[in-house]
Amino acid sequence: MRIERKMRWFNPSLGFDRALTWGAALLLCAASAHAEGTPIPHGTMELIARNQWIAAGHTLDLGLRFQLEKGWHIYWVNPGDSGEPPRVKWQLPAGLTAGSMEWPTPRRLESSSIVDYGYEDAVLLIVPMHAEAGLAAQPPARLGAEVRVLVCSHEMCIPGKAQLSLALPVKSQPPAPNARTIDARNLDARNPDARNPDARNPDARSIDLFTAARKALPRPAPGNWKFSVADANGSLVLSANLGRRVMQAIFFPLAESQIENAAPQNVQPVTAGFRLTLRKSDRLLKPLERLKGVLVLSASQSYLIDVPLSKPGAARSKKAPALESSRYDP
Amino acid sequence: MKRSTLYPILAIVLALCAAPSLLSAAKVGAAAPDFTGTASNGKTIRLSDYRGKYVVLEWHNNGCPFVGKQYNSGNMQRLQKQWTSQGVVWFTILSSAPGKQGYATAGEENDYMAKMQAAPPAALLDPAGDIGHLYDAKTSPQMVVINPQGVVIYDGAIDDKPTTDLNDVPGATNYVSLALQQAMSGKPVETPTTRPYGCSVKYADATH
Repeated sequence: MRIERKMRWFNPSLGFDRALTWGAALLLCAASAHAEGTPIPHGTMELIARNQWIAAGHTLDLGLRFQLEKGWHIYWVNPGDSGEPPRVKWQLPAGLTAGSMEWPTPRRLESSSIVDYGYEDAVLLIVPMHAEAGLAAQPPARLGAEVRVLVCSHEMCIPGKAQLSLALPVKSQPPAPNARTIDARNLDARNPDARNPDARNPDARSIDLFTAARKALPRPAPGNWKFSVADANGSLVLSANLGRRVMQAIFFPLAESQIENAAPQNVQPVTAGFRLTLRKSDRLLKPLERLKGVLVLSASQSYLIDVPLSKPGAARSKKAPALESSRYDP
Repeated sequence: MKRSTLYPILAIVLALCAAPSLLSAAKVGAAAPDFTGTASNGKTIRLSDYRGKYVVLEWHNNGCPFVGKQYNSGNMQRLQKQWTSQGVVWFTILSSAPGKQGYATAGEENDYMAKMQAAPPAALLDPAGDIGHLYDAKTSPQMVVINPQGVVIYDGAIDDKPTTDLNDVPGATNYVSLALQQAMSGKPVETPTTRPYGCSVKYADATH
């Protein structure tokens, strides 16, 4: 099938994913001494914090870290053709509010006739917590998360539920950049974990995890990149001018039912960018106004794009010629 | 299997492999593709025999937690009773391949329906996935509603809460009931298609 060839660079047998797998494996090794995690179906999860304390008036990064057995996955914010993204109900001390979850770039998960979007191996979903400026200093406060997560293989899905918590003090000074995370189970000095060097100093691990997770988040597309989307015969053609020829591109729609997830995505490299043809969803009830999602160009390059659809007829007047321009040709 | 029955299957399989772009068969507003299937009660069911009635198709997999949400809450059985009592024909379709989750023999499916007090007029056993592919069924519980003229008037999710949580059943807008209510009162179906959430249909492994 054509799609398999197009998506080969996402294949686990090749470089990018191999690197990710090694990375995940190394992180797993590093973490194993310290973190047992809370069991979920075919995996574990934990609630971790990037900072040692909650600083009044600042944002604190919390993370839901999932580690999954081989062959099992969880879902992106848009799960694709099946599945369901993880959901969290926060139990937070007064003065702390949860921001939106930040979703790392997902993978295409193909099975029989469908394509889902999600994560295998391990993933950290970051949730920024905003602490009110007037928050009074206090001893460790409990931050709780009730998480519902659907864990699936290609053969079956199992819903999981976990209640996680973390205790962090509130301080008036800003968070130290290399702050140490206090895990609820390490608050008690008699905890045997406290003698474990990893447990005594879990911050390095947490910070590495957050740094890696932030790197895996799609970034806003550079301002000088130009995109347009034309609606043509049941397809959406995304034209991109990045100032260089681009051989590979793959698009993950943020909204459900914009494109046929399982349809091949055809990349046509052009002088200053590429054209990507996506099959429009059969389930669109209204004409599509914007194409919004994550564009992946390589293992380390993924971008958030939000492109209005060109009005019929006006599509070729201004943007299309720029795409053909050799101005950026090396 | 006799040669005479093998050829049509072979033809379908070849057609599916050769022309995946032509696969969006069951389009809302278009004629519902006809099929013949064997029910768990041993009867042979032909869709076109039910012309003149509303027909609901329900893709089923008893191991899927999204399906479990509907059956363990009693919602699916309630819908089946509510609508069949008003003359609607309801077919539960099992397109899981042998050995895969949701596959059931006739006896197993009859036991399941008795245990769950499910009341579809028939549960169609579709282990080869023919009916599933004909309707491009992607998930369980994907739902299709066909009007008395044999036209697909709804294809998609069962409701607007794409979760496995039983607590989400009471507050959900049920798209099947909405489509049937609106069509029966002569109104256009407001939401004729949605993303059919759930578990992927466990078809036999693709040979291509």
